[in-house]
Amino acid sequence: MFKRRPLQSKSEIWMRNIAMGFLIIYMTIFLIIPVVIVIAGSFHQWNPLNQTYNWIGLDNYVRMFSYPTFWQSMANTVIFCVVVVFFRVLLGLAIAYALNSKLMKHKTLFRTIFYMPTVTPLVAVAYVWKIMYNPQFGLIDNIFGLDINWLFDSNFALPALMVMTIWKDFGYAVILFLSGLLSLPSDCYESASIDGANAWQTFRYITLPLLKPTMLFVVVTSIISYLQAYVPVLVMTTGGPGTSTYLSSYLVYDQAFKQYNFGFASAISLFILVLTALFTVISFKVTGANES
Amino acid sequence: MKRFLSFCLALILVLSLAGCSGGGNTAGTSQGTQDTQADKGLEIMGDNVTYDPNHLVNNGEPITIDWWVWATEDMFRSIAEAYQEIHPNVTINVINNPWDGFFTKLPLALQRDEEGPTLFNIHNSYEHLLLNYIEPYDISTDDLIADYPSASTHLMNGNIYYMDYGLSTGMFYYNKDLWAEAGLTDDDIPKTWNEFIEVAQKLTKFDENGNMIQAGYNYNNYFNSTVIGLNYQFGDNLFSADGKESLVDGDGMKDAASFLIDLYEKYHVGDKDFGTNYDQSFYQGQSAMVFAWGFFVGNLATNAPDINYGTFEIPTQDGKTPYAYYRYNGESTPGINKNATDAQKEVAQDFIRFFLASDDVQIKLSQDGGLIPAKSSLMEAPELKDTPIVKTVGPHIDRYIWPGAMPSTVENNLKIAGEDILYNGKDADDALKTAADTIDIDLANADFTSSESLYAYYEE
Amino acid sequence: MKHKVLKTALYVVLALVGVITVFPFVWMVLSSFKTNGEIQSIVQTLLPQEPTTDNYMNLQQTFDFLRYFMNSIFIAVAVTVLVIYTSCLCGYVLGKYQFKGKNIIFGFVMMTMMVPWSVTIIPRYTMFMEAGLQDTYISLILPVMVSGFGIFMMKQNMESIPDELIEAARMDGSNEFQTFHKLVLPLCKNGISAIAIFQFLWVWEDYLWPYLMIDSEEKQLLAVGLTLFNGRYSTDYGGLFAATTISILPVIIVYVIFQKRFVAGVAAGAVKG
Repeated sequence: MFKRRPLQSKSEIWMRNIAMGFLIIYMTIFLIIPVVIVIAGSFHQWNPLNQTYNWIGLDNYVRMFSYPTFWQSMANTVIFCVVVVFFRVLLGLAIAYALNSKLMKHKTLFRTIFYMPTVTPLVAVAYVWKIMYNPQFGLIDNIFGLDINWLFDSNFALPALMVMTIWKDFGYAVILFLSGLLSLPSDCYESASIDGANAWQTFRYITLPLLKPTMLFVVVTSIISYLQAYVPVLVMTTGGPGTSTYLSSYLVYDQAFKQYNFGFASAISLFILVLTALFTVISFKVTGANES
Repeated sequence: MKRFLSFCLALILVLSLAGCSGGGNTAGTSQGTQDTQADKGLEIMGDNVTYDPNHLVNNGEPITIDWWVWATEDMFRSIAEAYQEIHPNVTINVINNPWDGFFTKLPLALQRDEEGPTLFNIHNSYEHLLLNYIEPYDISTDDLIADYPSASTHLMNGNIYYMDYGLSTGMFYYNKDLWAEAGLTDDDIPKTWNEFIEVAQKLTKFDENGNMIQAGYNYNNYFNSTVIGLNYQFGDNLFSADGKESLVDGDGMKDAASFLIDLYEKYHVGDKDFGTNYDQSFYQGQSAMVFAWGFFVGNLATNAPDINYGTFEIPTQDGKTPYAYYRYNGESTPGINKNATDAQKEVAQDFIRFFLASDDVQIKLSQDGGLIPAKSSLMEAPELKDTPIVKTVGPHIDRYIWPGAMPSTVENNLKIAGEDILYNGKDADDALKTAADTIDIDLANADFTSSESLYAYYEE
Repeated sequence: MKHKVLKTALYVVLALVGVITVFPFVWMVLSSFKTNGEIQSIVQTLLPQEPTTDNYMNLQQTFDFLRYFMNSIFIAVAVTVLVIYTSCLCGYVLGKYQFKGKNIIFGFVMMTMMVPWSVTIIPRYTMFMEAGLQDTYISLILPVMVSGFGIFMMKQNMESIPDELIEAARMDGSNEFQTFHKLVLPLCKNGISAIAIFQFLWVWEDYLWPYLMIDSEEKQLLAVGLTLFNGRYSTDYGGLFAATTISILPVIIVYVIFQKRFVAGVAAGAVKG
């Protein structure tokens, strides 16, 4: 690395001031102030439509912790997030590994196909899947000769949303792992094969540790986005049957923009923020523990 | 070469889409013209609320206002057009915003001053959210109540912000072809629930494997709207005596809910998995009977004009006159946006006067919308005597209860409770208790008081 | 021999996954040429029995999906370009300059990535209402024109540019603005295309915010247009299939044409991560 030096020319100082000044002002307006507003709002009974903004102390939090739908939505969100991230990583890694093998040809074709669902708009895809899950004329029951009312059976509704999401998003992980694999130094493999390691051992002790940065990237970006997922719920189940597919972000949407309980919704959204931070830290710990 | 081909393909696609859309630019752009003729030689309309068309609005200058509706836009558009015919300088854009999200979008739009809608349809379950944005009608409240008796229930601080143009309630719709196919005649129209079950069973068909291929009765995705009001027949009101708390977890509601569940699970006249929507199943001729409100008349006309259907009143326990058959609700007149400009509001007030005074408009609304007219002078109108709802429930309408402008939380939470019982196997008591708890918090926030105590037979 | 078996097995498995991936699209396109009665009939066939283009014709009369499509493209491109520029600028300063408070700012940027939309949307809603910015594209662009993720990626990218190059430019008398625009930006092609793809997709998929903000039909975006369509014609499955086909197919075609760049871009961003 070239030796570090302090800023010298005037234009460098200008450059820094403009960029950092802009960044700080922007972040203040669009992040710090909003977060402060939300924190303050969570202590109020807040309905912007009839100008209610009454201090009620911790009532929103008390209500939140005693609200069964809140816990249900949190449990659903964690299950949704963990399962989808797990399968995204597993499928992504397995398929990327297979594609990377010397035996495979037509890599581009497969790669193109697997990544296809990722580029399509989620709302549109969700509508298509909603019809696919229809118990009378849906594609899935018809192909497999099943008689399951996917989106109205509490045993299947949340898994149905997860399957759709995994289908949509696994390609992203395939591409990332594939490029991770391609960038690995080949001399590692050579020394491994000289040492007589079998395929599994090579994968487990050489490839996997080297893929750690990619893994961390996939896991963290996935967690952050799945903890915020709501479109599949909005389009396909609106939380039903009952409350069995409520995800926490959908609950925020429902409370804020359907019931106009802004204060209550603020409290829930802050809880999601805490949960996101917690999950991110955990995944850093698990994936990157022995990294620098 | 491959690349070139695929590029061409993309180009063709884009171009063809562009071609299709070119012709699709419709309505809304035609601007009104200058109107100079105040005296149009037209008759004055109305009884107490009168409308004299022979004047200029907005001094005859062209003006455009938006009117938000969530369904049957053609019906509302034809009313707007009738008004535009009298006042050619006015353009009313009827904008259809779907019911899902109507009340998410509307409050936002109403804050946009003159750019928001000047007129907007209201559902009284959202009254508490909208009151802040509505301009009161500029018409004597006495006149309004004289023509529209139910307007008295909408009197707030001496003003009327919106009222009912029609009354609606639920009734059974049956597919006449399937009815005949099952060997049923008009004499088989059920009066009691037992008769109903019998008929429904005859209308239910299974294939050789025991899978349902035709449902006698289908309430999928409509459990909540159906069950609210059924409680009256099962011995309870919907709200407590002081009108502040819900009795959703009371015995009446529990029995009503269990009865609906039994229809599926005990009598097998329908199935929770037989189609996801009662209405679509009826359109497809796959369900023989559904319970729906008056609006279903309009929906059938648009979505399934070929279905030959009839209607009958909700049955009762013993065939005698019950405490109340069911609940009814008003279909609300449009609200006027308080934040609109004075010119826009002038037009809107003038339009509302026309809307309420014109019998033609009111008859059309009741005919196409499946309503009993709220205007008392129209009760006997020949055009409305034979509409399904008037024929079916007209004679007993005094035995229907109006629970008040019940906030949407009641329906929303009963939807959850219904699905919890039906699909998630939850205990009915628990599910309804959960619903009641949430509803009571929301009712308190909305400062709601029920109107059940106004019911003529409340003391029975 | 063993290799051959393995190879066949691999092909079979991957082909299977490929079919599962593509099949919903095929079904969607085929169904969009069926009548409503056929779509909902109890007996199902894959191919339309009486193919019809009515679904598409009716669609264009009531809903201008091409327009929504173009609007979506416009917003996605505008936001993407802005995000790229702000990310490069901030990434450059954070990656190449030494100054007090730099680590605090960068740490802060990293933290912003964790703030979910559900936290910011309520105050954002309030702020934009107060400012009277509903129904403008400004309301869609302004809140997302800086991305913590983008700054993070570009900082990584900038750090990999050798200092000597920049130093040499400075020696030649180029000021920082010139250096940034003429030298640094072109050197970050990979990082830029990575951000471009991620950002484009995020904007493309965003639903709730445009739904809340945009009222005018002619300004509406694709995702919102689809839900409006479904709200108005909830029983018109044929129309819905046609509408989703129009929303999905062009993206797929564009993607297939440019898939090499797509993949390279995504890869470039992540491996560094």
